[in-house]
Amino acid sequence: MRNKIEIKNLSVTYAAKGGQPFTALEDVSVTVADGEFVCVIGSSGCGKSTLLSVLGGLLPATAGSALIDGEPVRGTGTDRGVVFQHYSLFPWMTAKDNIAFGLKQAYRKMPADERARVADEYLEKVGLAGAGEKFPGQLSGGMQQRVAIARALAMDTDILLMDEPFGAIDAKNRTVLQELLLELWEGGAGGRKTIVFVTHDVDEAILLADRIVMLTNSPGRVGRVFDVPFARPRHRAELVRTHEYHALRDELMAIFFHDVGDKIGGAEVVL
Amino acid sequence: MKRKLVRFNTLLWVVLLAVQFLPDRTEKDALSPAMVWFVVGAGVFMTLLALRIKTAEGLQLHVDVFCAIFACLIAWTLATAKWNLMRESLFPAPGQVFTQMAEDYSKIFINIGSSLGIIAQGFVLGAVIAIPLGLFFGESARFGKAAGYIAVFLGAIPPVVYIPYGIALLPTFRSVSVFVIFLATFWPTLASTMSGVAHIERRVLDSARVLNVNRPTMLFRIVLPASLPSIFNGLGIGLTISFILLTSAEMIGSKAGMGYYVRYYSDFGDYTRTVVGIIIIGIVITAIMYGFNRLQRRLLRWRG
Repeated sequence: MRNKIEIKNLSVTYAAKGGQPFTALEDVSVTVADGEFVCVIGSSGCGKSTLLSVLGGLLPATAGSALIDGEPVRGTGTDRGVVFQHYSLFPWMTAKDNIAFGLKQAYRKMPADERARVADEYLEKVGLAGAGEKFPGQLSGGMQQRVAIARALAMDTDILLMDEPFGAIDAKNRTVLQELLLELWEGGAGGRKTIVFVTHDVDEAILLADRIVMLTNSPGRVGRVFDVPFARPRHRAELVRTHEYHALRDELMAIFFHDVGDKIGGAEVVL
Repeated sequence: MKRKLVRFNTLLWVVLLAVQFLPDRTEKDALSPAMVWFVVGAGVFMTLLALRIKTAEGLQLHVDVFCAIFACLIAWTLATAKWNLMRESLFPAPGQVFTQMAEDYSKIFINIGSSLGIIAQGFVLGAVIAIPLGLFFGESARFGKAAGYIAVFLGAIPPVVYIPYGIALLPTFRSVSVFVIFLATFWPTLASTMSGVAHIERRVLDSARVLNVNRPTMLFRIVLPASLPSIFNGLGIGLTISFILLTSAEMIGSKAGMGYYVRYYSDFGDYTRTVVGIIIIGIVITAIMYGFNRLQRRLLRWRG
């Protein structure tokens, strides 16, 4: 399969508070195939959000390169849909207007009634039919993320960049949203989108990803990359009963917390 | 919903009406019969208003407000017309005041129109210039900070001190007033707009940037609505200061306006009209602030 995203020897350094240069990412190389779901995992401060910002065009690369379809990323663009943990939606626009606004940005020539129709269609897909006239402040955190996902999907971009989109959602709703995302992605008409999904939740990564890229801390480098070989469509309830799931989970956990342990100065981490 | 037939406001209304029929003890005619008609009108108004209220809380508020109004009117009637407890020349009876109000209505409207015209011009001019400038300076990494300091300094100077220059340079009292109102609105609005823009959540801006918005869209669909709550704070301050300044200015140097009306008649010892003016000023400013708050609630309804 051809590479949709190619990150080659990427380093990102920026001036932190006090003017000291801070290296967020160092010599990171990752490729993502067309239609692949890649989770980037690491503890906080490992630069995983920085990686997504570079792909989204919000931050420039200091060294190395980030290529999309073989072209270096130059600034933001509506060829990539982005969902953040917070503030993806504009609070002064209704749920429907938020989606329609995204559509207008992506398709300049789409008439307003068509935008409204598509917005309604995607609201329904994420289970929010009838909530279109609500403002984000009137929706729960989980519903807001549904709208954000609906907007990203409605814009029908090849690539979805998701920065801990379910990080602030309670456990029960997070599970529901993960399954919804899987369902929409696996059943996507016209082929699966390429997704780069940042998380610090090992279980979330295993459930969602084709591959998991683990970043190590300060500065962020690629630690290890794991293939997640489980068949799709995946369902959490079935997945967690398999031996392979637990084997992979244990391996990831061991490395993940070893890394955290290094950072706080002890090999053992009591949780 | 169960409606009590007789509430306390109705009771007070009856007392207010009854009080009007006590004998007057003033030397001048207290015009109590006219007051009877006014009280009847107030009763009709109160009932019509009550019929439009749907919630129990709304009804409670309605009852409480009218109780307060009627209690004041009862005390006022007793203290002036009926028992003559205060100096008659300074404290007119309610009947005299409301009769005068009815007689002077065209004069009052003209003066209100004059005041509101000045406020509208100065306020709109101030807002229309301050908001775009505030958006620009708030957005600008280079000029933003310097502009902030300068706005704090210049905004701290009460606009009245520019009146000598206004009088020297501008042709009419009216244009000086508009200029002062303009300044009273301009500085707080500029400062609040700049602060609103500076405090926009960076992640909201990131969300807009990843949607590839161009500059006009960024300004009008993202930055402006995001800073609107703060902008309204500045506008509210500007409007309040404008009323204070204009009324003061009209009392000092004008030949028109509600402040002028109060000052002019008090100079002649006509305290009936002075009280008329005070009441009208209260009503007009309350109405304007109510409208302003309604507009604010409407435009910021997304804040929940």
